[in-house]
Amino acid sequence: MNEVITEEKSESDTQFEPKILGFLCNWCSYAGADLAGVSRNQYPSNIRVVRLMCSGRVDPVFVMDALIKGVDGVLILGCHFGDCHYGDGNYEANINYEMLNLLLKNVNIDNRVEINWVSAAEGTYFAKIVTDFTDKIRSLGPSPMAKINTPKDLLLKMKAIKQVVYDPRVRKLVGRERKITESGNVYNEKIDKGDFILLLKDALNAEYIRNQILLHLNEEPGSVKVVSEKMKMDTTTIFEHFLVLQQRGIIDVLEIKGFSPIYTVI
Amino acid sequence: MDDDIRIGIFVCHCGTNIGGIVDVPAVTEYAKSLPHVVFTQRNLYTCSETGLNAIKNGIKDNNLNRVVVAACTPRTHEPLFRGICSEMGVNPYFFEFVNIREQCAWVHQKDKKKATEKAKDLIRMGAARAALLEALDKYQIDVKPSTLIIGGGISGMSAAQVLANQGYETIIIENDTELGGQLRFHYSLYPGELDPQKVLSIKDGLLKNPKVKIYTSSKIKNIDGYVGNFDITIQKGEEEIKFTVGTIIVATGADVLKPVGLYNYDGKKVITQKELEQLIKSGGFNHKKIVMIQCVGSRNKERPYCSSICCMTAMKNARYIKKKYPDSEIVILNRDIYTSGTYQETYYREAREMGIIFTRYNKLKPPQVGKDTVTYYNESLKENIELNYDLVVLSTPLVSYSESEELSKMLKVPLDEFGFFLEAHVKLRPVDFATDGIFVCGTCKWPANVPESISQGYAAASRVTRIISKSSFSVEGSTAWIDQDKCIACEVCLKKCSYGAIARDEEDRVVVRTVLCKGCGACSTTCPEHAIHIRHFTDDQIESEITALMEGD
Amino acid sequence: MSSENTKNVMIIGGGIAGIQSSLDLGDMGFHVDLIEQEPCIGGRMAQLDKTLPTNDCSICILAPKLSDCFRHPNIKIHSMTKVEGIAKKDRGFSVSLKRQARFVKEDLCINCGMCVAKCPTKVLDSFDMKMRKRKAIYLYYLQGVPAVMAIDKVNCLHLKNLEKNKNVCGLCQQVCPKDAIDFTEKDTIYDLETDAIIMANGSNQYDPTPLYAYGYKKYKNVITSLEYERMISASGPTQGHIKRLSDNVHPNNIAFIQCVGSRDEHTNPYCSSICCTYSTKHAILSREHDENLQSYIFYIDLRAGGKGFQKYINRAKNEYGVKYIRGKVAEIKIDEDENPILFYEDLDTFEVSSKKVGLVILACAMIPSKGSEKLAKTLGVELDRFNFVKSSIDSPVKTNVPGIFAAGSVLGPMDIPHSVINASGAAAITAEYLSKGEK
Repeated sequence: MNEVITEEKSESDTQFEPKILGFLCNWCSYAGADLAGVSRNQYPSNIRVVRLMCSGRVDPVFVMDALIKGVDGVLILGCHFGDCHYGDGNYEANINYEMLNLLLKNVNIDNRVEINWVSAAEGTYFAKIVTDFTDKIRSLGPSPMAKINTPKDLLLKMKAIKQVVYDPRVRKLVGRERKITESGNVYNEKIDKGDFILLLKDALNAEYIRNQILLHLNEEPGSVKVVSEKMKMDTTTIFEHFLVLQQRGIIDVLEIKGFSPIYTVI
Repeated sequence: MDDDIRIGIFVCHCGTNIGGIVDVPAVTEYAKSLPHVVFTQRNLYTCSETGLNAIKNGIKDNNLNRVVVAACTPRTHEPLFRGICSEMGVNPYFFEFVNIREQCAWVHQKDKKKATEKAKDLIRMGAARAALLEALDKYQIDVKPSTLIIGGGISGMSAAQVLANQGYETIIIENDTELGGQLRFHYSLYPGELDPQKVLSIKDGLLKNPKVKIYTSSKIKNIDGYVGNFDITIQKGEEEIKFTVGTIIVATGADVLKPVGLYNYDGKKVITQKELEQLIKSGGFNHKKIVMIQCVGSRNKERPYCSSICCMTAMKNARYIKKKYPDSEIVILNRDIYTSGTYQETYYREAREMGIIFTRYNKLKPPQVGKDTVTYYNESLKENIELNYDLVVLSTPLVSYSESEELSKMLKVPLDEFGFFLEAHVKLRPVDFATDGIFVCGTCKWPANVPESISQGYAAASRVTRIISKSSFSVEGSTAWIDQDKCIACEVCLKKCSYGAIARDEEDRVVVRTVLCKGCGACSTTCPEHAIHIRHFTDDQIESEITALMEGD
Repeated sequence: MSSENTKNVMIIGGGIAGIQSSLDLGDMGFHVDLIEQEPCIGGRMAQLDKTLPTNDCSICILAPKLSDCFRHPNIKIHSMTKVEGIAKKDRGFSVSLKRQARFVKEDLCINCGMCVAKCPTKVLDSFDMKMRKRKAIYLYYLQGVPAVMAIDKVNCLHLKNLEKNKNVCGLCQQVCPKDAIDFTEKDTIYDLETDAIIMANGSNQYDPTPLYAYGYKKYKNVITSLEYERMISASGPTQGHIKRLSDNVHPNNIAFIQCVGSRDEHTNPYCSSICCTYSTKHAILSREHDENLQSYIFYIDLRAGGKGFQKYINRAKNEYGVKYIRGKVAEIKIDEDENPILFYEDLDTFEVSSKKVGLVILACAMIPSKGSEKLAKTLGVELDRFNFVKSSIDSPVKTNVPGIFAAGSVLGPMDIPHSVINASGAAAITAEYLSKGEK
């Protein structure tokens, strides 16, 4: 019989341990985490908590910031629906999360950000959520943003997403979402939530493409053809977005090379 | 200036609670290396007298202007340590608490090395945040020690009585010609045949009280301002009267539904319980065969609520009639009998013993009211029964007045789907609105009987007294403010705020009314121009924690 | 109000009503002495899992109030304390209080739990309705305030043997890092002057043992509503899992019997107001725990007059599949697997029938709390024929004694919103009463 001599695997410090960032709301999830402590419910030590007053305070910009800096997983925890200390902050947190989730699907990082609801009485449940999330991120491996040589195009896309959630257009839409779909707009018309989401998806898609274009042009002024190739998208679509950016006064033609106008960021 | 930041970090052993898992000496040593840290110390029990003195001395001897304590959860001792900072002349908002017990040592007991690493990370994050903290003050606003009570029924009057008797200026506005509300139309109150006039007699005390001003036949025209300073305009006939009050109580009451279109209601032979009471009061009652129908216009699709007082009211009237005319025949058709409470059940039993007949009907097979007979399906006999009547009395629910809508808009407070006023929290803040300084009591909030309405009036008075017994109203310093240079007045935040804290000021700018702000931060998360800053939880402060976390590698 | 003129109010009972009155009066500038017989304040609400009709987590909405009470500069909590006697003064009362020895120094205990880990004695926990064991040194409940341990004199080995001059155990004292344990502490009797009193000592749950037909205590799978409340609590004895007590197996069907100990001339003639809705709550929460669990509620009249209550019941019927059967259960028997079988008459179909379920929950009435009668007698407060504090229609929070008021379920079965309203109301009336002295 062949004896296979295997080398002893070295200490657990060679095993990947994810860095998890948690946003906890003061009144429910943070209290639930404290209860887990009082009850000595053990859970993996990977999570680092940022305490906020309300989950509604979690700006998607923070999440993007964390992901770009290399955090492997982000966990947002708020009160159960109906329990929010401030009435409906958690509903707002939820729609912010849903919006960000749609954007992150473009780069396959959506599975690294989760939102969940824990009450101040659910210490054991808190420990379970953290354990499950940590295990999930561990099995996904390190975030592609955490590597020393992060793929350039991924970095550009992540920066584009951050800009999308930073810029006014999407913030206005999400800021008004609940009012428009639940009570009505300024004309007292209630917009169907499904319709609103379609509208939001269009806006997200458009701004995502536009911000990638801007980042490419920032690196190096270029033509529609060049940018389309870099982004692996068709020139017609890219050209339409170029026009919009030009109308907005953000880019303009720098020079003409051959038959192609070269655009630059103003 | 950067050089001016002097952070002191105090790491707690908490006996062996933290010290037994986290390597506190190593963590304290590590803390020395952090930016702006000029002093570090470890203590056995930071919350003990010894520990507190150590912090005081640390602040004094090292001219600290930022204090970080790494110990248990801030939810227990944050006020204690903030107090110590204040004592030593350090603004309490320059204090930062790092949780290395409940959320570190106690939950990572199996891996001390990792728990220690986590403690270091958390302290690094806390120190980074501490460097960006700003001095804040509690915001104070003057409070006018007066109340406007909208509605002069029993609930409003009860509130007025309690407030005026304590010496507070109280203004009652009533749109009818006299005070009293619905109670004026009753001939007696259950369970003991109490004379409503006795209950209404508090009116006399109010009319005589120099602290009380009453405006009858008046309406509210406009309400501006916020807690402590509400500017009110009322209309009495041709006259417009303006004044300012500190607080408002809404006690506008409710109406008894007139079930037009139901059960052949005609107001003559088929009437409501309220109309029956008025008939009895006027002496016009002389009927012998009475059929009462419960749950008319309530507990149905249109109004899926139980009005709670109709069963007792029907019984009260039935008992009165049966006592006065022992040979009268009274049948009460019902779906469920609502007699919850200590005395109500006995009242019901006595009514049955008097010979009043209670029979159930099925919601899906409601009684049919004809010209002289009421037909209903009897479940136990499994057949239709015809009852001769000379009077049908329909027990209808209390419903909100249509004027509630206009008032709710003026006050910017919400109504529920039935038009009743919606309180801040159904369980724990039942007479408050989410908007500070405005309260609600009585049947304008939900059907209630007399003792409940009185209790609610008292409760609203209590909530008011809490505010007006002090000369000023203060809020925590961690509130929102809008940078007018960046704000484009799009009003996304204004419409989002659950507390109505954001409004247009006299110069039409969108501003946060600090006294109403709870600091939740929902407004700033979707501000398109990043113009809103949440004190003590600014974007910079939060981002510094994220940056500090990731730079530790 | 200047501090020399600060009036004192004593509030007897630290449940939600006592807490609300304390906070209101404390905010108004009065000094409040909150007297609580248990080691922590919180009362019944701390035992609840969720509150209806919103299904809010009970402790989550209660905890901020507990915290506010504890930290309030005007409120002093006297835990483990009872009222022994009272004497009327020219203005106000002098109340004699007995503070039971805690054996743990409140200002030293840091709630680290090392003592609990070492204690060898296990005792049935009354907070968890005796469904779980605690130690002889214990924290009344995890989120309790004051967050300080207490030693149960009756069960503590060391204290029991001290009387026999034997030195036994005392492990907790040995391991306490703060030296907070003091076995020499004695019960103390002290007097407190006060200007007004609010009775808020709450209510108890009816013990259905005398109702032999239901087999409570005879059949393991017949329990009371408070026991079920602890069972479905996330922090309760089964961590929120629904289990039959006979074999720890998850039931497929459960039944609720309404009006146990109420609406009955043989037990209590009154209606306990809240049971129809809280059984509905239990049925809804049970379904949320297990979507295959079928609930049956056996009732006489459905009482849902409070705000949102009727809709809550409609939701239970339509969305959670709860079956409401009108009919009082006459008798419960069990089969070989200890499954309860209920015998009843369905009053909508007029058929006599039986139903077999896995677990039966008796919705028991709220009765006056133990000691309520004694306290009322001590204070000279008149009770009604059910032994609740007597009040009148036009002055719902006043008692027959001037200067003594009442709030909460000590006045009669009451749900949480009514208790809170009542408590605020009592605070206002107390403030009015106290201001009269100055005018």
